[in-house]
Order: sequence, then C-alpha cells, then structure tokens
Amino acid sequence: MESSRPLRIVRDVTAVTVVGIFMFPIFWWALTSIKPISAIFDKDRVNFFDFTPTFINYGVTLFGQSRSQLAIDQGIGMGVGGAEAYDSRQSIMESVIVSLGATAITMAVAVFAAYAISRMMFRGRSHYLNWVLGQRFMPPIAILVPLVTIYKTAGLRDTDNLYMGYFGLMMIYALMNLPIAVLLMKSFLDDVPKDVDEAAMIDGATRFQTFRKVVLPMVKGGIAASAVLVFIFSWTEFLLSLFLTTEIRTVPVKIQTFVTSTGNEWGFIAALGTAAIIPSFVFILLVQKNLVRGLTLGSLKE
Amino acid sequence: MPADSASLEVRATDRRPWLPHWLTSESPLPWLLPAAALMAVFGIYPLIYAVTLSLYKKNAATRKMVFDPTHNWTKILSDERVWNAIYNTFLYTGVALVFQLVLGMLIALLLDSDRKGYGVLRAMMTLPLVIPPAVTGMMFLLMLNGSFGVLSRGLIAMGVFPPGFSILGTANTAMAGVLLAEIWQWTPFMVLIMLAGLRSLPKEPFEAAAIDGATAFQAFFKLTLPMMSKVIAIAVLIRGIDLFRAFDYVKVMTDSGPGTATETLTSYAGRIYFGNADFPYASTIALLTLIIVILVSTAFMKAFKVKL
Repeated sequence: MESSRPLRIVRDVTAVTVVGIFMFPIFWWALTSIKPISAIFDKDRVNFFDFTPTFINYGVTLFGQSRSQLAIDQGIGMGVGGAEAYDSRQSIMESVIVSLGATAITMAVAVFAAYAISRMMFRGRSHYLNWVLGQRFMPPIAILVPLVTIYKTAGLRDTDNLYMGYFGLMMIYALMNLPIAVLLMKSFLDDVPKDVDEAAMIDGATRFQTFRKVVLPMVKGGIAASAVLVFIFSWTEFLLSLFLTTEIRTVPVKIQTFVTSTGNEWGFIAALGTAAIIPSFVFILLVQKNLVRGLTLGSLKE
Repeated sequence: MPADSASLEVRATDRRPWLPHWLTSESPLPWLLPAAALMAVFGIYPLIYAVTLSLYKKNAATRKMVFDPTHNWTKILSDERVWNAIYNTFLYTGVALVFQLVLGMLIALLLDSDRKGYGVLRAMMTLPLVIPPAVTGMMFLLMLNGSFGVLSRGLIAMGVFPPGFSILGTANTAMAGVLLAEIWQWTPFMVLIMLAGLRSLPKEPFEAAAIDGATAFQAFFKLTLPMMSKVIAIAVLIRGIDLFRAFDYVKVMTDSGPGTATETLTSYAGRIYFGNADFPYASTIALLTLIIVILVSTAFMKAFKVKL
C-alpha cells in the first residue's frame, strides 16, 4: 500500500501529530502539577515553561506536607490551615484496598463460573450466560438508590462499621465487574482444548482436581489479564463510591473535594490526578496484548 | 487394560460417597453458585427493591411512603425535565458515538502499520482509557476554564469565542465541552477495537482489488467496511451502553448545568436523590434509564445480528 517516500513521511508526521494531540491533556496536567500557583492562574498568557518547577503540590497531597508551608514558600497569604483536607494518602490506601479486594472477589467468583460455562453442558447454560451479560447492560444508577437503603438496614454502611463499609463497596464493584471477568475468563478457557480435561479425568482426577492442577495453570496469563482489567475498572470507578460511602473516599471522589467554595485547588488536583493515573499506566502496558479481548468482553481477539 | 480399569474404579464421584451428587464438583452447581449468589443479592434484589420503591409515593411534608403505583410513572410523562434528560442523553450518546467511531476508524487506519515506531504510538493511544473519568473531567474543567484554561485560551485566540467566554458556563456550549472530555477519553477504545479488526482482515481481497486497479477509497468502502461490520457493531453496542449511563463527566464538569443544559437521565436521578431525597422518584427515573437501555440495545442487536 505504501509506495512513495513522500507519502510515507506525510503519514508518519500525521500519525505523530494525532497521537501528540491525544497526549497533550496528559502532558498539560503533569505540567500543571509542578507549577506554582502564580503560573497556574496566569491570566495574561498561556504559561508553558516560564516558571520555577515546584513539588509542593505533590508534597501536600502525597506526603502530608502542611499547606501553610506552601503559603510561606510562595509568599502568599492564602489558605492557612486545612492541611489534612488535602493529604490524600488515606484515600489512596482506601482506593487500593477496595480495588484489590474487589478484584480478588470478582476473580474468585468468576473463574469458577467461567469454568462451568466453558466445560460443562447443563440446562439453562445460555440463560446463565445472558444473566451475567445482563449485568453489563444495567446502569448502576438503577440499583443505587435501593442499595443505599439496603446497606443501611444490613449494616453495610461505612459510617456504622468501616470494615462492613469496605465489604459493601467491594461487593458492588465485584458485581459490576462480574460480566467482564466471567466472559473474558470463558474466552480464555475456551482456548484450552477440552481433551486436556478429559485426559485428566480418565486418569481418575475429579473435576476440581482437573481444574486446579491442569486447567488453571494453563490460563494463568488470562487470569492475570482479567484481574488487571478488573482492578483498573475498580480504581477508576466514581458513581458507586460517591453514593455509597462517606468515610471511605476513593481517589476519584477525594479529588472532587479539592473543588472548594473559595476556589479550586488546581495544583493539588493536577498532582493527585497525575499520581492516580500512574498505576493504571503501568498495568495497562502489562495487558496490552489482551486489552481488546477484555474491552469487548471476550468477543474479539487480537 | 488392567491399569485403566483400576483407575476408573476410584472415579471421582465415589470418593466422597456421603456427598449428594449435586454438591460434588462433577455437578455445575457449586461452580455457578458463588457468582449467582453475588448477582442475586447485590443485583437482582436491589432491582426488585427499586421496582417496589417506584410504586410508592413519598409525601414531601410527612416523609411517609404511601402505596400509589401510578404516581411516579405518570409524573414522568408530565415532567419536562425527564424529557429534557432523555433528549440530552440521546444527544450525548449519538454525538459521542459518531465522533468516536469516525475518529477511531481514521486513527486506526493511520496507525495500522508495521513500520518502526508505530507500535509505540499504538501503545500511547491506549493511555487515556485507564484514567479515572472523574479525574479526566476535572482536568478538562481546568483546561476549559474561561480565564486561564489552555483550551479556552486557544479557542479564544483563534477567534472562535469572545475573550473571557466560559464554554462550560454557557448553556449552548456546555454539552460540547463535556463531550470533548468524553470523546478524548474513549476514542482510543474505538481505535483499539478497529485496529484489532483491521489486523484480522484477510490480505487476498485487497491484493486482488489492487490488481483490478481499485483506489484506496474504493477498497475501504467496498472491502474494509463490509468486512469490519461485525467488529463495528460490537464496538458500537458496548460503547453505546456505557455512553447512555453517562454520569462522571457531567457530574464533575457542569453538575448538569447551567440550569438543566447538560442534565442526563443518570445525573437527573442523582440530582433528585441528593437534592430532595425523593427516593421513589429517583428510582423510577433510574428504572426508566434501564428500560430504554434494554429496548434500544435489544433492537440494535436484532437489527445488526450482533451477539456478544
């Protein structure tokens, strides 16, 4: 297709430009996160590099530095106090706990279900599969309002009991991620020939032994890829966490509290935002190969 | 063969004879039960609860719930904000889908090359996908700020908007501002899927077409598009479902405003929930969203013969 050299150069330049445009917002946030306040709120021009880089935004949000220190450093008399309000270490911990817990629950439940769907013939198999898929079609808002009441009666609110609060949030994340995990695992399990199971069972292994000793090791990569995707979706979730918990503030919710009546703390927002996307970036590069399969619930393979 | 028959005698099922068959791992039940329990307790039960809730009327003064099955559902019909929210939701979904699909296809065609460096470009394109949408919303809020936002300043400098113009603060342009964040974040989704589709296409028809003297455009419309139709349909379905429940960007960037200019079904339900705590009515609107999603996606799957 690509014949002439000038045409190739045009294509290269276009490709780099397009990807560059898509990378610009990320670059801009990272840049904003190391800007002093005066450069962020520069109303005279768009300030690209004309500032002295500062790491105070990271210091306050990620290392619990006092906010008044920021005021002294920059010689501005604003925002004394309220330092803890911007210290996000607690939120990051909470996000990690909820995301890891949700991932563990989802995968534990999904791998078993996916094995049965992939390997066993039983009545209502397609109904079960549709039921799982149906969860993906359901807008979370449809169950959110009653969930708040149900959690209140069941004692799953974080204001009553922190541990139960974590549990409640993890379970609902697990539900939301169940379709992707089950269907993705089914697609990985379908790739393993059934002869493998039959051979093991003829040798006297039970279904469970076959599953644990023979099939599971063969889909390790698939489990890792599914788990990473579930983790990312839990890490980025906003609506459920916003409605269901008050004490537990995951990072996407925490960052909203930096919007205050006296003005938005853009430096802190940019710093926490940049920090929040780094784990996802690392993970996504790990599952690059299985990303398409994951995003299409196993229906397309790369 | 003696060895085989010996092992067959200790068949799995006989190892724990006291267990009923349906509880052993030979039966599908124990495998399916945990996921089914999760769905029943945290999915179906709240859904049934929501349906019941929608049949009650909340008395604003006494805060008592009275059984009145038609109250909320008839209220929807006369509530102009519901119609506005439905319109906004469809507008949001439609515009975002068209942009993401067209841009996604174009960028996929552009990046579908085996030459050096293109792999890195493709990997970079996936990065927006994993940013929390609520964070993306905040960042676009910063970039669209009327007085110091870099995008606003750019557009003002180009003469698109008058100086000091607030894109998100003006009713006519607020939706476009929110859509910008949405399109930026999820176009890479389409790029990835289209790339996977393009890479799975057979080479022969294209070679034959090239020999017959077909132009690149003819090859694209006559060969690529028809062969990609299944991939495109799946992508549109999955993306459409997610778009329809749009909440994060709207909540973060405009909080449904100004007025109700960017209010979607989900954000309206959220507003009722947080605002006047009329849980039955919030539930009804949430259920309405679910009903529309089911109707539209079933029709789509029937029309385009898609199966996930």
